[in-house]
Amino acid sequence: MRLFLIFLLGFLLAGCTKPEPLYNTQSYVFGTLVDITIYGESEAKAQMLSNEIIRNFQSLHNRLHTWHPSELKTLNQAFSQGKTPVSIQPDVAKMIADAAKLSIQSKGAFNPAIGSLIEAWGFHHDEFKPVKVDANKLHNLVQANPQMADIVIQSNTAYSNNPAVQLDLGGYAKGYALDIALAYLRQQGAKNALINIGGNIIALGKHGDKPWRVGIQHPRKPNAIATLDLESGWAIGTSGDYQRYFELDGKRYCHVIDPATGYPVQGVESVTVLIPPQNNAGTLSDVASKPIFIANPEARAEAAKAMGVENYLVIESADKILVSKTMSKRIIWLDKEAAKHAVQIQPSP
Amino acid sequence: MPFKFSHHPKPLIGDWLVIFASFALVIFMFQSFWVFEQASNLKIRQGNQIVGTFDLNQTRELHIKGPIGESIIVINQGKVRFKQSPCRNQYCVHQGWLSRAGQVAICLPNQISLQLMGEKSSYDSLNY
Repeated sequence: MRLFLIFLLGFLLAGCTKPEPLYNTQSYVFGTLVDITIYGESEAKAQMLSNEIIRNFQSLHNRLHTWHPSELKTLNQAFSQGKTPVSIQPDVAKMIADAAKLSIQSKGAFNPAIGSLIEAWGFHHDEFKPVKVDANKLHNLVQANPQMADIVIQSNTAYSNNPAVQLDLGGYAKGYALDIALAYLRQQGAKNALINIGGNIIALGKHGDKPWRVGIQHPRKPNAIATLDLESGWAIGTSGDYQRYFELDGKRYCHVIDPATGYPVQGVESVTVLIPPQNNAGTLSDVASKPIFIANPEARAEAAKAMGVENYLVIESADKILVSKTMSKRIIWLDKEAAKHAVQIQPSP
Repeated sequence: MPFKFSHHPKPLIGDWLVIFASFALVIFMFQSFWVFEQASNLKIRQGNQIVGTFDLNQTRELHIKGPIGESIIVINQGKVRFKQSPCRNQYCVHQGWLSRAGQVAICLPNQISLQLMGEKSSYDSLNY
């Protein structure tokens, strides 16, 4: 009997030590943490794949950097100096055209042309500090009305009809990078991976025999507020007031700026969107949360509808949590208080 | 010779109470402790490197150098926090103590992350 138990114990321990074919690596790109998990590949292949992805991310980040010398910075300088077309890379042309389309779809709430406003609020620094912004200056920047539609792209050159246009792809590039990485993994024959760029996540395949599971950060606590299964091809993204912000005179100023007012959005802590599989699922997971975050509370459902988003979660405060009907079926609450306060959003007619 | 059970013809009310109470306790504990598993160890990363995996059940102060200076991390019997950081916004320090499996604190400027590990984390990656 005793011998049997020892055998059993040995057997169980052997079961414990069998390593899972799971490869995980983290890097800092896009000014944030990039976390890549690959399941079911040899370590050598997983390492090769993630190194290549990181290398691509780094290159994209360098080319699109807003406040260090980059292709984008050169383009912005040309925009401010008049209507002389400058040559741009085909992928940048495609990104600008796509972002312009999404900007129109969001009725201007997603507007990557407001680089000057973001700069005015001091968010164009690796380490930003509280700033008092001159109301007149903000007013003028809003009045100058920079729009993506001001940019004219012709055979891989671009110019702007409005010198106030200053591109900042901070709300687009991370999502775009997820789509690029997913396409690369598929092309390389990888079956299972989870890629996280600063909280924006896309899934490929599964984690063994179960779907990938992601946690949604509580905007005010160091815990996940809920979890959900991210099935293959789905992407999730959050706009929050807790990642990049500063506090001044007891008031929080977050990095999401309403293009219509020129001021950081107040009165909402986070908006999470869940995007089903499609070619630009990653991009949408980055972009589509912004219009919902910026919208007035009563207009959120409409903003979500305009962006084609069915699954979303809005945390306005600890006791005001709104969740769309389809999303409420997918999330599992970890925070009991949050679960108690969550109410279903009425869909936009 | 081990002891021998003596058999009652049928369970008494007390037996049923004990059985009922046990079930209630199991359900209560399952609900309370299932998702929030206490972390057993901590993985610290700096940049692309894993600095190390540390047992959480100790009292220890770690000094880790990043691109903007030295961060101080404190492990204190089952919990961990950023105690001091050279970054401007101090988000990492404001996160406070972490103790549950799956919790993460990141200092982006100094590229240091703390990740709490348990037997079973409740998710693979965190959306924030």
